[in-house]
Amino acid sequence: MVKVLLAKISIIVASDKLDKLYPAITLAGTAAVSGWEAELFFTFWGLLALRKGYEPSEVSLDYQEYGGKLAEAFASGSLPSWKNIIAQGKATGKLKVYACSTTLELLGLDEKVLETFVDGVVGAASFLGKAKSANVTLFIS
Amino acid sequence: MKIDLVVDARFKSCPGPLLALAEAVSKAKPGQKVKLLATDPATPSDVREWASSVGHRVLEVKEADGVYEIYVEVSG
Repeated sequence: MVKVLLAKISIIVASDKLDKLYPAITLAGTAAVSGWEAELFFTFWGLLALRKGYEPSEVSLDYQEYGGKLAEAFASGSLPSWKNIIAQGKATGKLKVYACSTTLELLGLDEKVLETFVDGVVGAASFLGKAKSANVTLFIS
Repeated sequence: MKIDLVVDARFKSCPGPLLALAEAVSKAKPGQKVKLLATDPATPSDVREWASSVGHRVLEVKEADGVYEIYVEVSG
């Protein structure tokens, strides 16, 4: 009998850089396979990571000297690709991915450019409504 | 101990080993035993935490030459 655990994590992701995306999806993906509900809300530059075909390859400007180390980790397979982590989280049915409606408009993007794993385009109130029952909330920027 | 499935996650960093194990366990049958091989030292405690969350049982954890062998029984 699998124990039912009513835990939930909600993370706001505000960057499309590797070093910001990985902590977010590592926690959300791990939460999902651990029976937690997990929600990711991509806003501002985070939204850029939801465009179809996007593969994170750059690290934040301040830490570019470590870019090579990260590239090595991906090349060797020691770190899973971010799409695989999302796919595994989504396969549990526990991981939800939301895009910020305002950012979509600000950046002049159409909803059609977003990956099919995006569950919806929502505003602040909708995300708050989903996140208010979370045990863990984080803002990663 | 009869092992039904071996998951080799050596040289993978967090969350690689746990995700590989979770994937394998999701396709396994209740009562089956899975052996996870990992070199990331965070893996034993991560697997224990995960197993207690989802209800699987960690039967044994061994370590030799930096390689962890973690045995998990899949719950029903």
